[in-house]
Amino acid sequence: MADYGMSSEELEQMYQEVILEASKNPHGKVHFAAGDGSNTIGVDSLSAGQSTLQASHEYCVPAQSHQFNPTCGDEVTVRVEVSDGSDGKPQHIERLVWDGQGCSISQASLSIMVDLVDGKTVDEAMELFHTFHKLMESRGNGLNDEQLEESLGDAVVFQGVSRYPMRIKCALLGWEGLKDSMAQALAHMSGDAAGKQA
Amino acid sequence: MVDFEAIRAQFPILDQKIHGHPLVYLDSAATSQKPQCVIDAESEFYRTINAGVHRGAHELAALSTEAFEQARAKVARLVGADSAEGEEEIVVTGGATAGLNMLATAIGNASLGRGGEAAKRFAIKPGDEIVVSEAEHHSVLLPFQELAARTGATFKWLGLTEDGRVRTDNLDEVITERTKVVAVTHVGNTTGAITNIAPIIRRAHEVGAIFILDACQSVPHLKVDFHALDVDFAAWSAHKMYGPTGVGFLYGRRELLEALPPASFGGSMVELAWMDKPAQYMEPPARFEAGTQPVAQVVAAGVAAEWLMNIGMENLEAHEKTIAAELLKLGDIDGIRILGPRENVDRIGTVAFDVKGVHPHDVGQFIDAQGIAIRVGHHCAQPVHRHFGLFASNRASSGIYNTVDDARALVEAAGKVRAFFRAE
Repeated sequence: MADYGMSSEELEQMYQEVILEASKNPHGKVHFAAGDGSNTIGVDSLSAGQSTLQASHEYCVPAQSHQFNPTCGDEVTVRVEVSDGSDGKPQHIERLVWDGQGCSISQASLSIMVDLVDGKTVDEAMELFHTFHKLMESRGNGLNDEQLEESLGDAVVFQGVSRYPMRIKCALLGWEGLKDSMAQALAHMSGDAAGKQA
Repeated sequence: MVDFEAIRAQFPILDQKIHGHPLVYLDSAATSQKPQCVIDAESEFYRTINAGVHRGAHELAALSTEAFEQARAKVARLVGADSAEGEEEIVVTGGATAGLNMLATAIGNASLGRGGEAAKRFAIKPGDEIVVSEAEHHSVLLPFQELAARTGATFKWLGLTEDGRVRTDNLDEVITERTKVVAVTHVGNTTGAITNIAPIIRRAHEVGAIFILDACQSVPHLKVDFHALDVDFAAWSAHKMYGPTGVGFLYGRRELLEALPPASFGGSMVELAWMDKPAQYMEPPARFEAGTQPVAQVVAAGVAAEWLMNIGMENLEAHEKTIAAELLKLGDIDGIRILGPRENVDRIGTVAFDVKGVHPHDVGQFIDAQGIAIRVGHHCAQPVHRHFGLFASNRASSGIYNTVDDARALVEAAGKVRAFFRAE
């Protein structure tokens, strides 16, 4: 890294190459069409109504979650399609995309999250959510568990960010959107199931 | 000639390293640091004369009451207000936000018919108007927006010029015969722009409205005289003027304070209280100071006011002008835009800026790694940021202890941000 005239160790710890790179070309980022429902905060396109969501497969339930950090304006909508099991496979994430704006930490975290959880089962994704949460609560110390850290793949680079209480929320923003949107999809399924039984 | 190097040395907190660099504190608009004399005043009060004020007959109570009232007098002198007994124009509050909320609530109470005949001048009814500006901090915007909602008044505002100054070219249009309250900031907390308040005040008074000034960002930096300005009310906080947190002041023109009904009720603000009859409230300022006051902090705030007067606000203003000039060089950096007036005229050393392609959180982190403290976010002024097409920004703000080198350090660091984050 070039010399930026500082003791750059801490900064490098935080902004690792993989973070800077991912924030420039984030994976899973798409542009949601504006105007499909809106309670705009910053970006018109981020708050599309649930009713307009369409699943790409019959066996999938779509859902989305809008996350907002009022201190800095980081904002993201995560859209997920969760399979309902009727395709004979365990419930899994069929599709995961997002649209949003924010700092390099939030953008990179979303990108790396997509790489990590897209295609995973719901249980696996929730497991990763909890592991990542633990990493972000580690105050820079990491998980001290090689296997767990390995399961996080590139997301382990956010260990440096966990030293900064003000930035933890940035790294977690997309993950919270993932958890919330998956929960909505699942709730929708169980609602449907209950409906069918009745 | 004021020795600002010696003044800087009075701030013990500045003598430390952050991330291995000497601390450069450029966040005084959020809160200022405290000189040793202010830090000492608070503990000295607790060590020697701590007691309840305006009650009890023992010696310590007399001494603490005297210290409290002397502090009020010092603060009054700093802003050109009266403080003779029976003429006090300074009300102690829990901060600028508390003061503005209290004032809005009191006006709301008057609108409900409280406060009798005298308070009718404040009463707001449906169809009346409340006017603020787009430059307001949320602590002005929201209490008066709420007041409008409660009273049925129309909420209006003065817009901003391209460089973020409060517009005064359409005053007759915005402030009308129906306008009852005009509340405007003296200095924009994001833009650093000094509002041209004279014509706004003139227009407000022309239509019989009361004029309320947010003085949070002016009292710590400029020589302010509320009588000369002819404002009706003004609110500011102690912690931005080198005093303690938890304390603020509300100035009110004496005759207005006398007519204003109270908004907070309890001990030390009532003359006579009965079970079966309405209470009879005290004269101001006691009427607005219900409950136990933060006495040690008020005393220390008085010390801060006196300390500022000894230095001379004109001297401080001239000193910070040199810091502002250096900070404004941020605007010369490729990809950096200043959100506010570019020229060093009618502005203070508060300079907000946007770094193209780099989120303020990342900018702040990069700057912090070099021991420089600036504010990132929306600075509790979202509409101002919306005006500039942004949600958040970076803000450097000067204080009495800053040097031109502090500002240079920031400008140098800011110049490296876009390369680090590979902004396109």
